[in-house]
Amino acid sequence: MNFRVLRRQTWLYLGASLAAFWVLVPIVFTALAAFTPKQDFYLWPKPVVPRRFSLDTMRFFLNTHGVLNSLLNSVWVALMTLGLTLGVGAPAGYAMARFLFRGREAFRLGILVTRMFPTALLAIPITVNFIRWGLYDTLLGVALIHTAMALPFAVIITTGIFLGVSKELEEAAMTLGCSRLGAFARVALPLALPGLAAAAMFTFVISWNEVFAATILTVQNRTLPAQVLTMLRVSPLYFRFAGGFFMIMPALLFMFFIRRYLFHMWGGATAER
Amino acid sequence: MNWRRFLGTDTLLPYLLLLPTLAYLLVFFLVPLGNAISLSFWGEEGFTAQHFLGMFQDVKFGEAIKNTFFLALSIVPLQLITALLLAMLVNTRFRGSKFFLYLYALPLGISDLAAGLVWLAIFTQHGYLNSILMALGLIERPIYFISYQNVGLTFLTIVLAEHWRATAIVLVILVAGLQMISRDYLEAAEVLGAKRWQKLWYVILPLLKPSLQSALIIRTIFALQMFAVAIALGGEIVPVLAGESYYWYSSYRNPHIASAYAVLLMAISLGMTWVYLRFLRTRPEVTRL
Amino acid sequence: MRSVKLILAAVLAVGLLAAGQEITWMSTQFVPIEEAEWVRNTLLPPFTQQTGIEVNFLGSEYAAFVDRLMAEHEAGQGTIDVICGLHGDFSSVLPTLADVSHLLPTIPGTLPPAMVELAQMGGIQAYIPLMQATYLMVINKAALDYLPEGVDIWALTYDDLLAWARNIYEATGEKKLGIPAGPGSLLHRFIHGYLYPSFTGYQVLAFDSGAAVRMWEFMQELWGYVNEAAPTWDAMDTPLLTGEVLIAWDHTARLKGAIVERPDDFIAIPSPAGPMGRGFITVLAGLGIPKTSPNPEAAAELIRYLTSPEAQVAILEGVGFFPVVEEAAGAVPPGALQILAAGVSAQAGSPDAIVSFIPGGISDEYKKIYRDTFTKFVIRGEPVDTEFLRQQATRLRELYLEAGAPYPAPDG
Repeated sequence: MNFRVLRRQTWLYLGASLAAFWVLVPIVFTALAAFTPKQDFYLWPKPVVPRRFSLDTMRFFLNTHGVLNSLLNSVWVALMTLGLTLGVGAPAGYAMARFLFRGREAFRLGILVTRMFPTALLAIPITVNFIRWGLYDTLLGVALIHTAMALPFAVIITTGIFLGVSKELEEAAMTLGCSRLGAFARVALPLALPGLAAAAMFTFVISWNEVFAATILTVQNRTLPAQVLTMLRVSPLYFRFAGGFFMIMPALLFMFFIRRYLFHMWGGATAER
Repeated sequence: MNWRRFLGTDTLLPYLLLLPTLAYLLVFFLVPLGNAISLSFWGEEGFTAQHFLGMFQDVKFGEAIKNTFFLALSIVPLQLITALLLAMLVNTRFRGSKFFLYLYALPLGISDLAAGLVWLAIFTQHGYLNSILMALGLIERPIYFISYQNVGLTFLTIVLAEHWRATAIVLVILVAGLQMISRDYLEAAEVLGAKRWQKLWYVILPLLKPSLQSALIIRTIFALQMFAVAIALGGEIVPVLAGESYYWYSSYRNPHIASAYAVLLMAISLGMTWVYLRFLRTRPEVTRL
Repeated sequence: MRSVKLILAAVLAVGLLAAGQEITWMSTQFVPIEEAEWVRNTLLPPFTQQTGIEVNFLGSEYAAFVDRLMAEHEAGQGTIDVICGLHGDFSSVLPTLADVSHLLPTIPGTLPPAMVELAQMGGIQAYIPLMQATYLMVINKAALDYLPEGVDIWALTYDDLLAWARNIYEATGEKKLGIPAGPGSLLHRFIHGYLYPSFTGYQVLAFDSGAAVRMWEFMQELWGYVNEAAPTWDAMDTPLLTGEVLIAWDHTARLKGAIVERPDDFIAIPSPAGPMGRGFITVLAGLGIPKTSPNPEAAAELIRYLTSPEAQVAILEGVGFFPVVEEAAGAVPPGALQILAAGVSAQAGSPDAIVSFIPGGISDEYKKIYRDTFTKFVIRGEPVDTEFLRQQATRLRELYLEAGAPYPAPDG
């Protein structure tokens, strides 16, 4: 390795590490805080690395009424959202990727427009309808709203995914006697699966983090962020951090699972093969 | 089979595939949106502009609109530049680049609520940053990063926090876009003796335009609606439009003016999107939106 | 999913058979987790034992509280059986409330008639008084080192406060006074219930008076010693605990956390007095029943339990809210809460007291009128503009006129 290459490598890793440091530091702070004993939260100056660790804060948080329950609720809502979103949105994504049709551009923009209005305000008229329909304070009700929020992304992302799956393969299957549906199921779907899995995880995260609609639409069946938000303003600092930690950790885990497919989602799959 | 014949046999199919999405958004978006918009224009005696007038006369309106614009205008370009740099860095495919990419994508999973919490703990007077600066002996007394006397600095903390939280999505879009650029183009450019910046300017950026457009539009829409992070760090020092809308609704119980704010936000988003689409025109087949 | 639902349903069914009824109690009070846990684990179990009624306690923020009740009212069916809130919370949800006057004769304790009357709004008994709270100051004992000579913390004036905060600033270079001025704070209470009455004698009538101009100019000066992050703070317990402030004003519920966490470090003292006297708010919290309540009978049962002298004393001892029934008056809480109680009693008993009530029955925009004026003159530091004050005063009076509501004490 000559000197120039070495120097280039050094700069490369230095830059990459610096950016990684920037991303990681706040996450590390949150994690450290969640395992700091109560009393140490108010020290000044704060020890950058806590002097001792304790599970008390975590234990207190998890034992608080409604927290574990809301954790489970969050998982259910996110799973339902994911199913609904892909079920409704993926066909549209497929259509966008495969066909040039009249109104395609209008649809493309229309989808975007749905994200331009602050969602908190949309949840309010919906609440009244939900009470009438018996969906108020149900997990399904929350999932329905989360689906409305995630749907535009699902369409955009699945468009990218199906664009990444070669159209020619599908056409070939059809000339070989497959039906349109058969060609899709046997050729396009398997190839799109990793991307779809990533899209699913992404949807999961959107639902997991959503707080306003969940707060307005539920009474007893709170999701975790809604539960934490209710207590946030008037809770001690250590409780807030425990809550923050619990909201961040699952999201990080999902990111870990989808890391390989993250770029399939936005149509990067073709070049990677 | 060519495109024309394909289209001929399947004229209806795409519409059928779009139908579930359209129906869903009709019920869960358009109808409530109609409700909200009518709230902003209807008063006790029918159509009225009074709620919009009320909004324009709001003591905090001017500041909120200024802050919202400046925040979006400073965050989005900064994110685009950072993400582009990181994407190019990762795209050199050095050893371990995949690992770094994963790290950079992490904030994608973090909610604005949690991000606001963490960054407040960093920037508050007795927070992490001041503790570190004190420990290093760089300062004798904690700095007020968040201060009504120093709106600029407070503004900067919001920019940093939001940059941290929301750059990952831009990065992911750009990396995916970069991966789709065929190596042939770059090799051809090298053969023709292009310098590094020439490759970037004449080959990579033009080919990356669809991805840049997607990233710009998505990020701008969300930056305009920024709420949780701005409230956590800026409070009453840096009011934003989405926040005013929320407080008109939740604290002052006036859904009419709250809706007027929301309609204004939507109008601004539409305007910005139009500008992006107009000035960053791309071929429809390759656009990712 | 289905199997989980089945199991849940089975558990619920068994629970219903065993315990009879379950009711939902939504409340804007007892929201901090420790308080909510105390309500669930200590306050409610005896009630369930006595009556067989299970209570599902649900802490809620003000906005969600109003949204939910309004939505249930509009839809004509409800899930909430009984509600607890402040006087002002009830006035915001007035159309959704059932008249509870028929419960008055069955309340086990003796309610002061003045409070019962205050709880009448829109021609109905909107709620049954439950407990009282107030806003006052909590100081870190370290601040006493900088107390100006001859100043009595139990009879503090606004000028003393200014001198005190200035002393701290001159000695340490830090601004250690805390006023909650964040978007979710109760700053409006400080302005209309503390500053205005103390400086002008009224909360509405003298909004744009010369005394009010002097008050705003005083606040501009005082603000120079308030911690610069104050406009982001919703509650003062955390800044007190971190040491970012040494002197703070807030609602008792938002200060209590600090005292309970480190009782040896803090003292609760009365709010300061101005030229006209010591303005402060007495907040009444109560219990009401929505028209859409699925179990109004069980709800009434809970109300009777909570207004019994024993439950009232328990609430004081457990979470530090003061009783309303006369049989429980004079009870003193143990431990850390005693510090808070001492401050509250001193404030209530101060000779120069001007008691203010929270406006009821008018649009919540009144909060914005007070807060916007603060934002303009104090946070932004613009010169006090009498024309602006006059406009705001006009708007404020309009709000009362539109609603046909009387001016609250000390005005009315």
